[in-house]
Amino acid sequence: MALAIRFALFGCTNRPFFHIVVMEKRRAQRSGKIKEMIGSYDPMPNQDNQKLVAVDFQKLQQWLGFGAVPTKHVAELLGLGGFYPIHPMSYIKAKRKRKLMEKQPADMQAKEETQETAAIQVNEDTQPDSTEDASQ
Amino acid sequence: MAASMKCAWARCLSTILLNSTKHRCQISQPLYASCSNITGDSGNDEIIFRKGEGGTDQTRQEAGPADDTKKHRRDPGKAFTDVRVQKILLRLTGLDLDKVYEYRAAKGAGVAKVALMSDQQLKKVYESASYKALRKLQMPPVLGAREPIDEVLSEDPELEGLNTSKLVFIDISQRVPLKKRTIVVREPNGTLRKASWEERDVTLQKYFPQSGRKIGLPRMFQQDNLECMLDDGKHEYILNRACSQFEIDDPEYIRVTQRTYEHIDGNGKFEDLRSTRHFGPMIFYFTYYKKIDKLLVAFLEEESLEDSLDLVKLYHIVHPSCKSAEKVASMPDATPLEIIRAFAEMDATQKSLVQQAIQTYEKECDSTGSTQLRR
Repeated sequence: MALAIRFALFGCTNRPFFHIVVMEKRRAQRSGKIKEMIGSYDPMPNQDNQKLVAVDFQKLQQWLGFGAVPTKHVAELLGLGGFYPIHPMSYIKAKRKRKLMEKQPADMQAKEETQETAAIQVNEDTQPDSTEDASQ
Repeated sequence: MAASMKCAWARCLSTILLNSTKHRCQISQPLYASCSNITGDSGNDEIIFRKGEGGTDQTRQEAGPADDTKKHRRDPGKAFTDVRVQKILLRLTGLDLDKVYEYRAAKGAGVAKVALMSDQQLKKVYESASYKALRKLQMPPVLGAREPIDEVLSEDPELEGLNTSKLVFIDISQRVPLKKRTIVVREPNGTLRKASWEERDVTLQKYFPQSGRKIGLPRMFQQDNLECMLDDGKHEYILNRACSQFEIDDPEYIRVTQRTYEHIDGNGKFEDLRSTRHFGPMIFYFTYYKKIDKLLVAFLEEESLEDSLDLVKLYHIVHPSCKSAEKVASMPDATPLEIIRAFAEMDATQKSLVQQAIQTYEKECDSTGSTQLRR
């Protein structure tokens, strides 16, 4: 079994909230088999237009030492936070969104973001095995 | 007269404790995150500072005149933590056990215990209560306003468009002092920067809540509401709440406390803060910014020469280059009144007021037939 640093989706309908946890990659996130919780990520911006991310970096480094592997989205987030180099997908998504923005009005941007949140949920739930093809 | 007698007793008590071997003149221990750079060594009569940013070890740093220009803004903290200053402030604050142990309607306030004791036991209990009370009188340090954080860690314009909101990252590792916790912000334009002080305070309060603090500015501290509270005479309450809400070097804390001190000065209600932990910082504020005239007059009207003398001495320590300090240095056998008079002539901003107060005091002295240090 692969030890992963991944998101575990909590919260409720229309209100996602992710805990950043260490658990086996294939397990269902609410199975209760979380090895350790090392942070949180709130995808909904607050009153100051901030998305809060808390990470216990000491624990993170310990688990990385144990051989835990962050998932794509966690790696992206940590890249944005400066712990890792910026993930290539961040650049790609940014570029795609900029393209969209040129074509479509601003409210489409928000739609893209909610879709992305849904993508994270789906990703962490179903755990596709094969690596995705590198996009353009 | 009763009030001045009480003051006298309070002052006497604090002096006894100061001089006793048990008590050491401790600089306020780092109760506040802001003070982590300041230590006090009570064994020797010197303050040794840890290396500040770009600074060197300093001993007994003299504080020059207050200069409010941004570039050369002096840090009052250096003057405040001088042992001589601390001793004087503590002496002036006094120790009124009735006031310190006043019943406050608050959570956890217990019912008073009644016990039958011998005289010896009572004396012991009284002593230990006095030492505990000194802890309650620890003064929140007076520091200069903190420098804004302005550090950019990385610029990534290629991330523009990824997010419409900021991403705030906080390190929640265990056992890291609040002041050292890393908090960074990834802006929508791709810049990764350190969080500003305001962002830090709010985020830290969310993840590491401290009791008595609210996220954001409590409405009480908004200018209009603050004025209402001050007019109601709630100076101690405002200062206590400011202490718990803000960091000591927060510009908001400085604004609130300084406004409170000014209001007290305007109404002459200095005695409200006597024997509280805010008396020392208030005296220091007036001394540092050269506004001690009304305070001096109040002390003289109370007929406590020692307090007045202490105040002028404090002024001379904080502003060693002032004219009256030099004059007093040249007259080693000056009586207290002479020292105060020298100050009034040379450095008082409201000369006539102070001189009149001195005259009134002297008349009172003559009328009661005593020219020695009076209580």
